[in-house]
Amino acid sequence: MNTTNLMLCAVSAAALDICALILILAAYVERKTSTKKWRRSTGGMELAEQNAVYPLDCDEILIGRHASADIRLPDISVSRYHAMLTISDGLWVITDIGSKSGVFVNGNLVQRAILRENDVIKVGTRRLVFRKRRDKRDR
Amino acid sequence: MTDNPISYFFSCLFVLAAHIAMLANVFINGNYDSITSVIVLSCAVLILDIAYFVFMLFFRQSSYTINFLLILVLNMSVIFQSCFGGVYFSVKHYITAIAALAACHAGYLLCRDYRWLQQHRTFVYIGIGILFIAILTLTGSRSMWISIGSFSLQPSEFIKPLFVLACATSVFEQQKKHRILCFNVVYENLAPLALIILICLLQWWCSDLGSLPTFAAIYISGFLLRICYPKAKFSKKTFILACVILLAAALAAMKFAPAYVQDRLHTDIWNNTDGSGYQQSQALIGIASGGWFGKGPGKGFLCNVFAHENDIVFATICEEWGLLYSLMMICVILIMIAVPLINPPRSYYHGTMAAGVCAAFTVQMALNIFGSCNMIPFTGVTIPFISAGGSSMMVSGFMIGMLNASLTPTIIHRKQRRQPA
Repeated sequence: MNTTNLMLCAVSAAALDICALILILAAYVERKTSTKKWRRSTGGMELAEQNAVYPLDCDEILIGRHASADIRLPDISVSRYHAMLTISDGLWVITDIGSKSGVFVNGNLVQRAILRENDVIKVGTRRLVFRKRRDKRDR
Repeated sequence: MTDNPISYFFSCLFVLAAHIAMLANVFINGNYDSITSVIVLSCAVLILDIAYFVFMLFFRQSSYTINFLLILVLNMSVIFQSCFGGVYFSVKHYITAIAALAACHAGYLLCRDYRWLQQHRTFVYIGIGILFIAILTLTGSRSMWISIGSFSLQPSEFIKPLFVLACATSVFEQQKKHRILCFNVVYENLAPLALIILICLLQWWCSDLGSLPTFAAIYISGFLLRICYPKAKFSKKTFILACVILLAAALAAMKFAPAYVQDRLHTDIWNNTDGSGYQQSQALIGIASGGWFGKGPGKGFLCNVFAHENDIVFATICEEWGLLYSLMMICVILIMIAVPLINPPRSYYHGTMAAGVCAAFTVQMALNIFGSCNMIPFTGVTIPFISAGGSSMMVSGFMIGMLNASLTPTIIHRKQRRQPA
């Protein structure tokens, strides 16, 4: 194989390499757009405690004491798997998944409830506020 | 229309550039009798590229990366397959590539609403049942193909996406426990176990043992995700027990494997270059003679070896295009299945589905490449999108559609449609 042919092989390999790199960059750009879309379509909500904020970035969120829970509340009054947040058609719903102390929304014991902005959720002794997401600079 | 027109434009441009560079290599380095074959091939590849870029604009998706990677790989595959043993336009492979694109969109449309999928899960089991009956009644106990006229179908391939769907689960479904005797049982966890046992028996019966690792990988990915989260029973004891069971199953399978498998496990290919070691020894010679940059498109000798376009396709590409290009081709497929790591799915169901697809693709590629390189026994499993074969191409396309669906869940679309009103 002569030098020109080798160069051509190298060029085609480089073109594939650059293409793959561009597509990886495109995936990162799409990730940003996708996150924005997600926040827009789910109302951009979050759960906030006194010292912590939990973004709601997927459509099924487990709340509990266990290490594998999405929102981990290391408190003995909270069951290992206490409640679950789900979203359907833009509405967030909280469901009690067999907890011992129950789930309270604005002081009412509920098995399943649709959440609205600024609702206060009581899980064991922990109080969480369901509110609009705040950017870091707003806090 | 797309949300990122600049990113879309540059993706189109670079995919086209990659294909043009490949075609230029075919034109200058290739082995062809008439320039017409190169022109036809170039026109077919570029027209498919442009038509697909335009077609995708009619589908509003959050992510197009997988689509771009898919068309990149498919047209690369068309170019590879058209060059084996001399440049000609492989019409059959071109048609299967278009079928794979159609299957990808079918998979995307079917799988983006996981709640709908969960409601209709029964149809997944019915589909698997129908395929089981088709295999039992239409293929022989020593065959895996159904012949319809001049076409041959491999029904066991079609079980793969359905099995991935059967292994996918949501966190909510995992909370639905039923009391049987003194055990809390989740029915959704029992179904994949029953299915994998049935699939193993069936594959054993029709002597298609090469596909078993793929099914096992799909099941293991679903099993691991279930014990890691949300049940969180991923203790060291469970893990060790699972490993011991897996090892015992592998040892038992090797001990009681049929004679032809035993032969492949213990054969020394260099002492048996004209017998059972023929394909692998030729494949290794082909890889070595290709070097880093290959002999040139259409200039290889592996095209004379049986199954050069599917079972030892990696070696055939290495010989003609070089090891460097072949490894990059594998990298592109790996990037395609790794996109959910960059842009993670928003639901657990889609996450488990994407994990199943990734596991299946990774194992298939590993079996083919390591088999070609004599690092493991020869299995005859295909490399997704690169190997020739209609069943494999369509199923791989459908599974990539499933992966794409996990990046654009329906929940976003529902809300998006409402907003203008």
